[in-house]
Amino acid sequence: MKKTFARIAAVLMAAPLVLTAACGSSDLSSSSKITIVGQDFTEGNIMTALYGDLLKDAGYKTQIKNFTARSVYIKPMEKNQVQISADYLSSMTDELNHEANGADAPEVATPDTAQTLAVLTKLANKVGLTPLTPAPAQDANAYAVTKKFAQANNLTTLSDLGKLGQPIKLAAAPDCATRQSCKLGLKSVYNINITAVQPLGFDSPQGKSALVKGEVQLAQVATTDATLDAQGLVILTDDQKLQNAENLVPIVNSAWLKKNAKAATALNKLSAVLTTADLTAMIDKVDSQRDEVSTVASDYLKSKGLI
Amino acid sequence: MVPAVADNCLTRNEWICGKYYSTRASDLASAVGQHVHIVVVSVLLGFVIAFPLALLARRYRKLELMVVGITTAIYTIPSLALFSLLVPISGLGLSINTVIVGLALYSLTVLVRNMLDGLRAVPADVKESAIGMGYSSTRMLFRVELPLALPAIMAGLRVATVSAVALTTVGAIVGYGGLGTLLINGNNTEFKAQVLATSVLCVLLAVILDVLLVGTQRLLTPWTSKAVAR
Repeated sequence: MKKTFARIAAVLMAAPLVLTAACGSSDLSSSSKITIVGQDFTEGNIMTALYGDLLKDAGYKTQIKNFTARSVYIKPMEKNQVQISADYLSSMTDELNHEANGADAPEVATPDTAQTLAVLTKLANKVGLTPLTPAPAQDANAYAVTKKFAQANNLTTLSDLGKLGQPIKLAAAPDCATRQSCKLGLKSVYNINITAVQPLGFDSPQGKSALVKGEVQLAQVATTDATLDAQGLVILTDDQKLQNAENLVPIVNSAWLKKNAKAATALNKLSAVLTTADLTAMIDKVDSQRDEVSTVASDYLKSKGLI
Repeated sequence: MVPAVADNCLTRNEWICGKYYSTRASDLASAVGQHVHIVVVSVLLGFVIAFPLALLARRYRKLELMVVGITTAIYTIPSLALFSLLVPISGLGLSINTVIVGLALYSLTVLVRNMLDGLRAVPADVKESAIGMGYSSTRMLFRVELPLALPAIMAGLRVATVSAVALTTVGAIVGYGGLGTLLINGNNTEFKAQVLATSVLCVLLAVILDVLLVGTQRLLTPWTSKAVAR
């Protein structure tokens, strides 16, 4: 029995060495596969699946990873451990601007797509990254109210809500209080009397449900949210152009891109056709009809003749 | 343009949905595989690190304060922060090893403490008898002390394993969360069938691993079950 004990103990001790050695191959930096990253919500999953299918079709071996925060993958991208990210024009611009010039640096992203792209290209090139062509599709911040509230007060724009002058509670991303695109701008540009910000997240089910229940009067949502209508919610138009351009744009490691021009060609073909309506329809298929992301993405690419 | 929405348990968003299990079986299976991989490797890695630490701490009193203090301090770091802190370390990056190393670090506090307690609880007269029989200190450790300390060590392993099953889900922030990746995704998209299925699988996984550890303990310490039978 003592021998059995020693033997089992020996196996227990040796096992981790074998297992850790075996999982070395799943490292992101392995050279044979290219790694595509994005953010971990339905839209991010769809975008990375679209990029993945396009590149597979172009002859690459791909691996897809979706993360809850952008900050996780920036450094690995600069080091070429990650080759491509499915990103957003202004958010990425702000992220790189903060990284280069500090968290308090003035915001450089704007509602203008071409102008923001120029700024982003400069910032990205400095850290070894290159933005490809942005798609017309945008997932910008938007602000929604209930249809009832909109009808009762005759609201169609955010300016209308400001003129109404009522105290408004807002459900939004946790960083809303310090953002020009959120609380600050809603107050200064639209003169909306925001009395409280509930940090329930950007376009979150929790935020929308708080709106439906009347716990808040305004919620931060995405322009690509396909579920608003069914929940009795409506977006108020951003008539003063407070929101930055958030076009979907592939960001690529510059060194890798030099040797892989055909990857850029493949991704730019998608950017040429992808509209906000296309993206919203795909999100609806995944979130409402519960189709699988992989199927929805490849069906779309086939319907557009891209693969 | 928009096709009519099919009416099934997926579109009705029911908690229990056969169509979910049939269409996502391979996703669930690979998530469970990743989950098990992360839990097993991290706890074993933690065990291998904790064992020499416990021996050192037992031998040198001053080291004990340091070892127990540091492992406990690591345990207080929020998991979200720990995984993010590990990402910039070269060789880890955005790989599964980041989650494994993080969880192994967390397991240290429980494992080291239980190993120490178990070794300390070996009766002095038993050790004296072993010395009297001419046992060297290595032989005494493996033949006398460890077998007697085993119930305490296994108790530590069980706690470490079950908590690793739960903590693995947080690994989703670096892209390796096993069932956690699907759970967070299900939560974000209000996908009830996915939330329930992954939660239940997590619990099942914890129970199965715990039962396996209890079984291993029985096999390793047959004298304890005999004592119960008598």
